[in-house]
Amino acid sequence: MAISFTLNGKPQSVDVSPDMPLLWVLRDTLNMTGTKFGCGMALCGACTVHINGEATRSCVTAISSVAGKKVTTIEGLSADGSHPVQQAWMEEDVPQCGYCQSGQIMSAVALLSKKPNPTDADIDDAMSGNICRCGTYQRIRKAIHRAASMQTGKAKSAA
Amino acid sequence: MKIWCGKSEIGQGVRTALPMIVAEELSCDWRRVQVVQADLDPKYGDQLTGGSLSVRTSYDNLRKAGAAAREMLISAAAREWYVERSACRAENGSVIHLSTQKRFLYAQLVTLAAGISPPNDPPLKNPSDFKLIGKPSRRTDSFAKVTGAAKFGLDTRLPGMFIASVVRSPVYGGTPRHFNADEVNSAPHVRAVFEVKSAHLTHQFGETSGPGSRNYSCAGVAVVADSTWAAVQARKLLKVEWNEPPSASESTASLREKMLRLASEPGAVIRSDGDFDKAHASAVKKIDAVYEVPFLAHATMEPVNCTAHVRGDSCELWAPTQIPRAAADAVASALGIPRERVKVHVTFIGGGFGRRLIQDYAVEAALISRDAGAAVQVVWSREDDIRHDFYRPAACHVLQAGLDAQGHLVSWRHRGSSPSIETFYNGTGISPRAAAQVDSLDFPALFVPNFRLEFTVAESSMPLGYWRSVDASGNQFVISGFFDEAAHAAGRDPLEFLLAALGPARKIPVGNAETLDVGRRRSVIQLAAQKCGWNEPLPAGRGRGIAAAFGWGSYVAQVAEVTCDGNRGTLRVDRVVCAVDCGTAVNPLGVKAQMEGAINFGLAQALKSTITISGGQVAQSNFHDYEVLRMSDAPPVIEVHIVPSAEPPGGCGELGVPPAAPAVANAIFAATGKRIRRLPIRAADLHPG
Repeated sequence: MAISFTLNGKPQSVDVSPDMPLLWVLRDTLNMTGTKFGCGMALCGACTVHINGEATRSCVTAISSVAGKKVTTIEGLSADGSHPVQQAWMEEDVPQCGYCQSGQIMSAVALLSKKPNPTDADIDDAMSGNICRCGTYQRIRKAIHRAASMQTGKAKSAA
Repeated sequence: MKIWCGKSEIGQGVRTALPMIVAEELSCDWRRVQVVQADLDPKYGDQLTGGSLSVRTSYDNLRKAGAAAREMLISAAAREWYVERSACRAENGSVIHLSTQKRFLYAQLVTLAAGISPPNDPPLKNPSDFKLIGKPSRRTDSFAKVTGAAKFGLDTRLPGMFIASVVRSPVYGGTPRHFNADEVNSAPHVRAVFEVKSAHLTHQFGETSGPGSRNYSCAGVAVVADSTWAAVQARKLLKVEWNEPPSASESTASLREKMLRLASEPGAVIRSDGDFDKAHASAVKKIDAVYEVPFLAHATMEPVNCTAHVRGDSCELWAPTQIPRAAADAVASALGIPRERVKVHVTFIGGGFGRRLIQDYAVEAALISRDAGAAVQVVWSREDDIRHDFYRPAACHVLQAGLDAQGHLVSWRHRGSSPSIETFYNGTGISPRAAAQVDSLDFPALFVPNFRLEFTVAESSMPLGYWRSVDASGNQFVISGFFDEAAHAAGRDPLEFLLAALGPARKIPVGNAETLDVGRRRSVIQLAAQKCGWNEPLPAGRGRGIAAAFGWGSYVAQVAEVTCDGNRGTLRVDRVVCAVDCGTAVNPLGVKAQMEGAINFGLAQALKSTITISGGQVAQSNFHDYEVLRMSDAPPVIEVHIVPSAEPPGGCGELGVPPAAPAVANAIFAATGKRIRRLPIRAADLHPG
């Protein structure tokens, strides 16, 4: 039975087993490989996407529960890497192997949407579900602060 | 401008640092350089990515390659203009005729230049003229990695490709005796269910695979399906009975007992200077201690995987591998096809740390593709990855040291025992010295007059491998921890004690035309101490510890600052200050990233990770029980200070790992008086009782 949802702003319909996790729908059915498989148990955060704006581990999210909802993946953040969080990530030279960074960025974007100026403690709370084995944590912290000032700067100049 | 990178990008930044070297000598516009990953091809030389070797072994050749291309472009321009070569200069992607300021873009010269023979000995730039080498440069692959566009091994998608999930023998060396193939075969979207045989993995990282070597891929049962989810679901239906090898009785407790016993007895003498027994007998103050480290898994964020397509007597691989050559060798051997018929595409790699030096997963994928008759991607679950790794060996070390009346270290004996990576890959016929998991040059060898280092291999059934910094990862914790104990026993400041033991700056010959540079050792230690404010007092409950490591042609020292409450069992690493001398730092930004990452990797070892075995099986399975460092554990501050140097580049990938754990352990002692002698550090180890 087809399941319909909104994927990166566009209507999407898939005909798969309803218990199939969103992660595998994205990666195998839709060939959108930016969202990563890391643990399959919501322990590492590599598969993080947004569902109705909330950071969600797609590896444990059955596709049936996504019906009618809005899903955003790393590919949907910007067409050209221009999202402030992506920009901040590049400016702070965050990625090493890069495998976890899609998930890190999606978690960071969700954090900043709730807390435009997060403290280090806020970052610890929001980001501790995302593992980076290369150890880019200090740069991720800096990049989140940088993205925060880019975004609030933009907000101020628009006001 | 495209530059092909012959090494594998595992996060360490070779796709930035290596092209920088070429681009420097080529005098091209760095902003217009596009870096392309090279497939396996002899023209790129040795494509092994490991041992912190990439920059230091490529530096001279890549400079020469860039310079040769630059000279060919200058020759081409000189011919076009009918002028002497000396009247032309290369600059920022153009050749300029100096007197007229006429200019050709490189692109205009490429066809002509390609017909000119490369010079054998092109002039290299004076390092004082470098515009790129030594300048902090952002990574070339960040855009791909922040947009989700980077294609890792698991992102390989081929037409008609199936996905395989494999149940491997829970005990290394076991084989399937019986399994319910028919039942699983009838599950939805399943294409095939069959046994995967174990294959010996020959010649990976320069090993000899002599008699008694145990390096083979795991036997198992493969479930081949249309999608990952279908394979994973069908796998749950699989019931396998195993032929268990005799090693099924091994446990962490039994191995620990064995290692403790062996490390308490005389072992093979790896180094002996002076007369330990005599000197120790007359020492005024003596200390002894037992140190222990556990098995560790690599746990790269991208689980192990490989995509293979076997067609007739050829095989194509899409492999996240640190040694494409070894993947081709092992696959050719397992399939019985000519080596030239194996093509290897190297993908982006979601972490290496040594795991992808071992080609078990490539062989497995090739065997499954052959038997499935299709392109197959073998996806390892995290549980597969944690349970079927090639582990950093567990080890026990028994140490003794003696001080004279003046508080000088006069005797030091270190007896280690652990399973041996060397016998695992090379066989049991190698010498005890070759099998040892300690290094005869490890500090404080050469700095203690009566020094003895012994080692005994503890036989184990566990599969073993190279883990970022290999034996130094555990040994440095032991050595730097016990050295700190000696400093405190002498009633001296650990920094002052360390510098006093090293003595004045000098170069000590150590054989093989190599020298040990005491000055460079001292300078990183002094720089780290100075930058952290070593002598500034800390409030109660906080402490500072220092540790250093030397190897891979480089030098590093780290000071950790911790806040520790022994009664509550809480520990926070507040800051790590790192000083590094890696000779010429090709990309200082990359060097800093490597130190930061290595420190966090070393802190995971210090604070979190352990692999235990029971019934010959690994007890851990995923990140809930194989814990690694998380954001909330990561020190708020890591400072990295690079010693300016014109020496040849040294390695940076592994260097930063070994000092992190002992720096923290020594800081805990400074804060609480509790000595940490086993890893990972547990809350109970902090308790003052």
